Amino acid sequence: MPETAPLPLDPRAVRLDASAADRDDAIAQCGRVLVEIGAVEPSYVEAMLARERSISTYVGEEVAIPHGTLAAKDVVRHDAICVLRFPGGVDWGGERVTVCVGIAARGDGHVRLLSELAQILMDPDSARALREADEVSEVLSLLQPTQEDQ
Amino acid sequence: MAGIESKDIHKIVIACDAGMGSSVMLASQVRKQLKGEGVEVVHTPVNSIPGDADVVLCHAGLADRARASAPGVVLVPFQVFIGDPAVTRLIDTIKKGGTVDA
Repeated sequence: MPETAPLPLDPRAVRLDASAADRDDAIAQCGRVLVEIGAVEPSYVEAMLARERSISTYVGEEVAIPHGTLAAKDVVRHDAICVLRFPGGVDWGGERVTVCVGIAARGDGHVRLLSELAQILMDPDSARALREADEVSEVLSLLQPTQEDQ
Repeated sequence: MAGIESKDIHKIVIACDAGMGSSVMLASQVRKQLKGEGVEVVHTPVNSIPGDADVVLCHAGLADRARASAPGVVLVPFQVFIGDPAVTRLIDTIKKGGTVDA
């Protein structure tokens, strides 16, 4: 992958102050953002819900990474992620989630971002920074891959 | 089936349903921790685990599908994507030597 490849995180796909009634609502909101930025067809949202019902995408540190199924790759137009924060918390099968990183992928364009997210989740201070960032630009810079990852 | 000796592990496959989310994240972590050990780490959908996999890591909820997809390959199921003890144990065994149980 060339280092100059644009990162599939559109600033328009970062929402710091969302609220959701429940897990499915939070996932649907992530899906709608991915639709709005042109990354997926609307039917992708249903695949995200189905995927979540099979196995939770909760990954720790109040973060979940909802995404579609293998079959739904066909309705992904381009790799993208979105970041939606739910400061009020969402019950995620017994876990509290305040950050959703929604994923749409047909290639590997999002791999660097997920790698960075994994690093963040292993460092409690970084995870807190992701949960509490006041600006979209802070979220973008936290997820910006470091030199080592490229 | 029998386990596999750490020295015989050359390729670890991390499998999930779509190969686009959690497995990608875990693969990046395992790859980093095994840097310099000469072990290839890839992520794939659970239905297309490559034939040359030595060890398959997958979420416990997908273990049956992984076994069907890659019969005879040592399977290490895990529960959480970050910091699961089963994953830590696998990495330790590869680094220090020993047997990974099937």
